[in-house]
Amino acid sequence: MSDEEHHFESKADAGASKTYPQQAGTIRKNGYIVIKARPCKVVEVSTSKTGKHGHAKCHFVAIDIFNGKKLEDIVPSSHNCDVPHVTRTDYQLIDISEDGFVSLLTENGNTKDDLRLPTDDNLLTQIKDGFGEGKDLVVTVMSSMGEEQICALKDIGPK
Amino acid sequence: MQGRPSDLAHLQSTMHAFELACNSIQMHVNPAAAEATILSLGQSPRPYQACQFILENSLVANARFQAAAAIRDAAIREWGFLAADDRRSLISFCLRFVMQHACSPEGYVQAKVSSVAAQLMKRGWLDFTAAEKEEFFHQVKQAILGIHGVDVQFTGINFLESLVSEFSPSTSTVMGLPREFHEQCRSSLELDYLKTFYCWAQDAALSVTNRIIESDSAVPEVRVCTAALRLKLQILNWDFRDNTNAAGGVRSSINVFSAGVRHDNDSFKRSECILVKPGASWRDVLISSGHIGWLLSVYGALRQKFSCEGFWLDCPIAVSARKLIVQFCSLTGTIFPSDEGQTQEHHLLQLLSGIIPWIDPPDAISKAIENGKSESEMLDGCRALLSIATVTTPFVFDKLLKSIRPFGTVSLLSNLMCEVVRNLMANYTEEETWSWVARDILLDTWTALLVPVGAIGGNALLPPEGINAATSLFALIVEAELKAASASAFNDESDSDYLHASISAMDERLSSYALIARAAIDFTIPFLTRLFSERFARLHQVRGITDPTETLEELYSLLLITGHVLADEGEGETPSVPRAIQSYFVDSLEADKHPIVVLSGSILRFVEQSLDPEMRASVFSPRLMEAVIWFLARWSCTYVLPTETSNGNNCYSGHDDEHQLDSHHSSKDFLSFFGEYNQGKLMLNIIVRISMMTLISYPGEKYLQVLTCYQLLPALVRRKTICVHLVALDSWRDLANAFANERTLFSLNSAHQRSLAQTLVLSATGLRNLEASNQYVRNLMGQMTAYLVEICSKNDLKNVSQQPDVILSVSCLLERLRGAASASEPRTQKAIYEMGFAVLNSLLILLEVYKHEFSVVYLLLKFVADWVDGQIVYLEAPETAVVVNFCMHLLQLYSSHNIGKISLSSSSSLLSEANTEKYKDLRALLQLLRNLCSKDLVDFSLGEAADTNMSQVIYFGLHIVTPLISSDLLKYPKLCHDYFSLLSHMLEIYPEMVAQLNSEAFAHILRTLDFGIHHQDTEVVDMCLRALKALASYHYKETLAGKVGLGLHAAGCTDPDGKFQEGILSQFLHSLLQLLLFEDYSTDLVSAAADALLPLILCEQGLYQKLGNELIERQANPTLRSRLANALRSLTSSNQLSSTLDRMNYQRFRKNLHNFLIEVRGFLRTV
Repeated sequence: MSDEEHHFESKADAGASKTYPQQAGTIRKNGYIVIKARPCKVVEVSTSKTGKHGHAKCHFVAIDIFNGKKLEDIVPSSHNCDVPHVTRTDYQLIDISEDGFVSLLTENGNTKDDLRLPTDDNLLTQIKDGFGEGKDLVVTVMSSMGEEQICALKDIGPK
Repeated sequence: MQGRPSDLAHLQSTMHAFELACNSIQMHVNPAAAEATILSLGQSPRPYQACQFILENSLVANARFQAAAAIRDAAIREWGFLAADDRRSLISFCLRFVMQHACSPEGYVQAKVSSVAAQLMKRGWLDFTAAEKEEFFHQVKQAILGIHGVDVQFTGINFLESLVSEFSPSTSTVMGLPREFHEQCRSSLELDYLKTFYCWAQDAALSVTNRIIESDSAVPEVRVCTAALRLKLQILNWDFRDNTNAAGGVRSSINVFSAGVRHDNDSFKRSECILVKPGASWRDVLISSGHIGWLLSVYGALRQKFSCEGFWLDCPIAVSARKLIVQFCSLTGTIFPSDEGQTQEHHLLQLLSGIIPWIDPPDAISKAIENGKSESEMLDGCRALLSIATVTTPFVFDKLLKSIRPFGTVSLLSNLMCEVVRNLMANYTEEETWSWVARDILLDTWTALLVPVGAIGGNALLPPEGINAATSLFALIVEAELKAASASAFNDESDSDYLHASISAMDERLSSYALIARAAIDFTIPFLTRLFSERFARLHQVRGITDPTETLEELYSLLLITGHVLADEGEGETPSVPRAIQSYFVDSLEADKHPIVVLSGSILRFVEQSLDPEMRASVFSPRLMEAVIWFLARWSCTYVLPTETSNGNNCYSGHDDEHQLDSHHSSKDFLSFFGEYNQGKLMLNIIVRISMMTLISYPGEKYLQVLTCYQLLPALVRRKTICVHLVALDSWRDLANAFANERTLFSLNSAHQRSLAQTLVLSATGLRNLEASNQYVRNLMGQMTAYLVEICSKNDLKNVSQQPDVILSVSCLLERLRGAASASEPRTQKAIYEMGFAVLNSLLILLEVYKHEFSVVYLLLKFVADWVDGQIVYLEAPETAVVVNFCMHLLQLYSSHNIGKISLSSSSSLLSEANTEKYKDLRALLQLLRNLCSKDLVDFSLGEAADTNMSQVIYFGLHIVTPLISSDLLKYPKLCHDYFSLLSHMLEIYPEMVAQLNSEAFAHILRTLDFGIHHQDTEVVDMCLRALKALASYHYKETLAGKVGLGLHAAGCTDPDGKFQEGILSQFLHSLLQLLLFEDYSTDLVSAAADALLPLILCEQGLYQKLGNELIERQANPTLRSRLANALRSLTSSNQLSSTLDRMNYQRFRKNLHNFLIEVRGFLRTV
């Protein structure tokens, strides 16, 4: 690899960067994309041309990873799109407080208490029931572009 | 019917209830209850009296219809124990009913009763004596001859129509009887009755002809005549079989399972034109009776009447008559005496002279249609030409018309097609018009003429006049295509699928064009060369001044057309030079002046200009490049560096040698021009440069890159002779270098990078020796594995890895590795093993850090699956152990991440995406396990240690995978298929491991097996049956040897509620018998079912006896009862069946089961 690709060190401290540019033609279904300043997951990509002998453009259908809203965008294939930096972190669930916040145990032993429970009733019951049954739960928190949300739940055995 | 008053009252009340139900179902009032009432009549025992009462007395037509249906259902079900008199009286009742009510206005009731009579007649066909049948048919014949008037005549013909369609296998109704029954009925009708029916129909038609011809308006007789024509058409459509293989006189040995397939090759050729081969016995009726003359004169008379009231071009009688005429055109086979085709020619000429007015003169016909005349007659004329072309050679076809016209039939065909093409040109629309339909039929006609039956790829030769006709037609076709192209140049196709469709949908049409073009090759090649050079010149003139789009679109079309003319589709093979081109001989002896060389050269010089950035920007649009790449892929397969054998003799065995020698010589001259010692390498170099340019200079042009990566480049590395030169080319080295060491190709779609890696690795076969090939692969992939290892050794990997650009890089690398892995060949196996081995640890690290990133995990699993697939067969024991251990770790890690994980999202589409992701992962895992399994199919030399390792990993894999598989996921057909193939393999190879599974996992596997046995896909059922066989035979053998076998699983247990649960083998014996005796399944499965049933029976003898006795006791009818008892006895005792599980015994049992099912299934299912 030539030098320019050794970008690990240079970018390691730039972990705070919220998005990265990527050529539209290389974004595939199941990848991420920013549309209207929202981080989204691509569920459909199709290509078409501007006129028969024109250049290709990509048509993205994507779903906002936080609120589930559907968004669409059309970008010339050779242009860059913004791709969001999405991270997911596992925490052990310690407590659910009355006011709708969860208490999570971080890797280094501290607690993280600033995350709200989801508002959606269905999800709420899934978490609350599991917790209520005394299961040992690990929650996965997805964060991107300054937002955070619980996105998965895993039972790692009885308490 | 005349009963006591109380009976009458009862019948009346039944009728009222039934009528009420029929009415309410029509008004949609409480339909479920009404339906139940209606069905209950058919399901009650012996409802005939009530049904007949309703038919005769009800005023509600729908009730009569349903009553007829009830008679049918009940009679078919109870047929086995109806007395002979009852059977006959039911049929005569139906027949009498339709005759008596012949003038009833409710046609659908009549048709229903008629078809019920036909079905019952068929049900009893093999039991009735000839005299009994005679009695029924006497009535019918009287009716058809018109003794009881026109309406009854119509009804009689109608009944025969139902009967014939009931006896024809493709249109028969299901009766729950073995296929053999239907086959015997079919054969009996064909031999003894079909011709008679045809004659009756003919007599009926003759009896009313004069009446029709004399009258100027529609008369009732028209209906009779139409029905008679329809019946004749139906009989001619019959799949005649007994005459074609009349030699095989042994009737009893008809193979019921293959008799459904026609044995003659002709019928595979084209679906549109079905050949009619009734055999010699029909000669008197169809040929020598003057029948054709009558038919043509009737239609001729009808044509005069189209202006009259009640007749028009599309009136039923005209349509039927035309269809019959077209059908007669495809008459062939032994019906014609062996007089060198004279009788057939005469027959066809007679038909053709009747058809000519429909299509000639073409311009007048076309104009009339444009002015509002119906096109159906003209289209039928085209269909007749297609039929004639199918049964004749080009010479005979052409000669036919010459005796009545100054030109041959090919000229007429050409003129007709020209007219159609002109019409298409004049009315350019996207909609399907009559000229579209006509064009397609006529193109099929050309194909039928030019690709004679049995010849592969060759062109049949046309007579000289025909060649001229083809010449002018091709010129016009190209003109039309070019005009259409420039007209559509500015259409903005928003539909992205269109691009894909445009090439593949046009493909068939273009192949037909190519046949016509090759028939006139002397003209075609210079003509195409001229068209190209005109457009090249025009492009240069207007470049930078005006918009070249129209010319670009014309070139696009020309490239597609020329590609089809010059070369055939290889479909993975190396297509040889088309025969017409091989034999294309020109006076000039210099290879570089040969028209083919000139044409190819001019195209190549033009496309080479795309390498110049300025030209590229102004002329070579992405779409034009798509056509260029497509053309290069197709053309280079045939022409670039041709191998000596590529135009070898083996393709054309069967043609006369002299001719072949001739063509060989002329083609060799110009082919050498593209060879190794002439321009071949130079051309290859240009092609590679152009390919690389499309990958780099057309960023984001996905479809163009698809063509380059999946068509052009793979086509190049397919032939070893080309690979030898490829690896020596600078351009290829540049491509490999860019791929291995530069960043540019990372901007390709990652799937394309995979294909590129595969192509590059495959080209290593062109190197001198093993070491060089392996080194080539190491150089190519070394940087990438090093890079992956490096990433994984970073301290801050956990943070960095989530960055989108790192994810992109890792994904691309995994795809590239996967591409290389899927190119495993003996020569490069070592290097590819090393490649995978180098990253094994890194893969586990990546699986951990990307556990939430589906897209990466999936690529990783796919890479491992493909790598194992390519490598496993080559590996020695220590290497195998490494791979197996690694897979163990991988599976453990994956399951620790995924078991018990629930995705949470408020968005249903994101959740369903998550489900699909799960499915894809699982499939990849199953593939991995199956690939591992393949090791023990090829290699028995592994030591004991490796063997247990292997079974452990698969056992472990099954433990991991089964809890993740739900019945919802099994609805994905591919996953279902993979899962069951793995399962059956596991049970066959390692039944002892499966027996050790804990009861939960074991129960889960059995539940899925039970699900699989009732699956629709026969392959899935087959796999499940194999699994069952393995399970049961394992248990049987083990217990015989005094071991536990499946132990507790088989013994059954008492569940916590105190209820006894059967052992699993008993459960399966139960459900398998249930399936075999009472449910629907494909007969292909019987053998596999027998293999599973035998060990089950042996394991569970007691239960089997019990089930058999129950079955016999349930049978009320004493004859059937003894029949069943005998059948059950011979199932387990005949053919010296023993209680061992060896090959012979399995075979015997298969035979027994087949016989058993034929014997009893018919009545078991219906009673």
